[in-house]
Amino acid sequence: MSIKHALLGLLANGPLHGYDLKAAYEQELVPESHLNYGQVYTTLERLSRDGLVTHDVVRQSERPDKKVYELTREGRQQLRDWLTTPSRLDLDLRNETYLKLMLARRLKGSDPREVLAIERRGCFERLHEVSQTRARAEKEGAPLHAILLLELAVLQLEAFLKWLERCEEFLNREKSK
Amino acid sequence: MKIEPPAFEVAALSKAFVAGSVRVEALRGVSLSAERGQLIAIMGPSGSGKSTLLHLIGGLDAPTSGQVRIGETDLGALDDDRRALFRRRQVGFIFQDFNLLDVLSAAENTALPLLIDGLSEAEAHRRALAALELVDLAHRGDHLPGQLSGGEQQRVAIARALVTKPLLLLADEPTGNLDSTSGDQVLTLLRNLVDHQRQTVVMVTHDARQAALADRLIRLRDGVVVEDQVLPRCRPFREVLNDLDIVT
Repeated sequence: MSIKHALLGLLANGPLHGYDLKAAYEQELVPESHLNYGQVYTTLERLSRDGLVTHDVVRQSERPDKKVYELTREGRQQLRDWLTTPSRLDLDLRNETYLKLMLARRLKGSDPREVLAIERRGCFERLHEVSQTRARAEKEGAPLHAILLLELAVLQLEAFLKWLERCEEFLNREKSK
Repeated sequence: MKIEPPAFEVAALSKAFVAGSVRVEALRGVSLSAERGQLIAIMGPSGSGKSTLLHLIGGLDAPTSGQVRIGETDLGALDDDRRALFRRRQVGFIFQDFNLLDVLSAAENTALPLLIDGLSEAEAHRRALAALELVDLAHRGDHLPGQLSGGEQQRVAIARALVTKPLLLLADEPTGNLDSTSGDQVLTLLRNLVDHQRQTVVMVTHDARQAALADRLIRLRDGVVVEDQVLPRCRPFREVLNDLDIVT
């Protein structure tokens, strides 16, 4: 997820200072996440440099001055463009299971289908945990964003299990040749 | 302390069907034993023997060879009539297509196993309402199945299966005809019956997400058990949520 666009989006409803941005991101946008201040301020500096946000310095008597950030017209336009453009879906295919399967296939005396069985057990344990958490989410009063992300996690694990099944079909076919 | 017998136990269970000149071995020597108060999922490709196993456990069908015990009762030792009676009292079934009678209300459908068993109408009705309470449908007792959603109909079917307080609840693709939201509700309900009533539930499903809600997962292939996995107790809700790598 892009912090740059997240910050632009959080500023769309009005000016905020760095601390508010961090809090809004962690509490309202991406539950249970932790942004460090460094990330927030370097991103804000880059956005300022690119003319997407401006800031006012608010003087404080007891504490250091704080900067209040605001979207520029160009920043608002970039946010709108981002929201209306399909996201680039990350297909991360670097996968440990794949590596194990391919190696087990080359190794003498080793059956990749044993690797599959072990991976499936592991995946089911993870799915067990995540789907139970998903099933309890409503009762626990979890906010909508947590439910949506749990749903995504469940579906990804289901897809992975389906992939393991397909691998097994192909490996069985190879074996019977 | 008296050791509690398993909820059910099958030993060297085999079942062959003859279709014309072809003999199909649906199950080939399955042995399993199940603790009470667990949700057990049976998975496997179609034709792997899942439903056959469920039917044999529930005494709907007799094995070609092998044993089935439910609690302390050996089903093979019972004649047909006594087996039917035992099944009616100790085994509740839930099917994919609910199997409710259209002309009877939810409460009447639920009371049916008790009425067949000779209980008075007043007592059967009272217990039916208590069973409907367990599935959160006591307020819909007067409704006909046609006036209920699919998920509600399946919950009535669950109430009917529970009304005799059976040792075993057997479910064959219980959410196969439901949309995912109602399916999730039915699964949560089954999970709660296990957790809060210590009901033993055995469920055949092809849905990994639902199987993953079980305590134990049994995978069949070509009539034999190829996987028997105990799923660990779930960690606290917050902990799991905190662990998910959501972003950055």
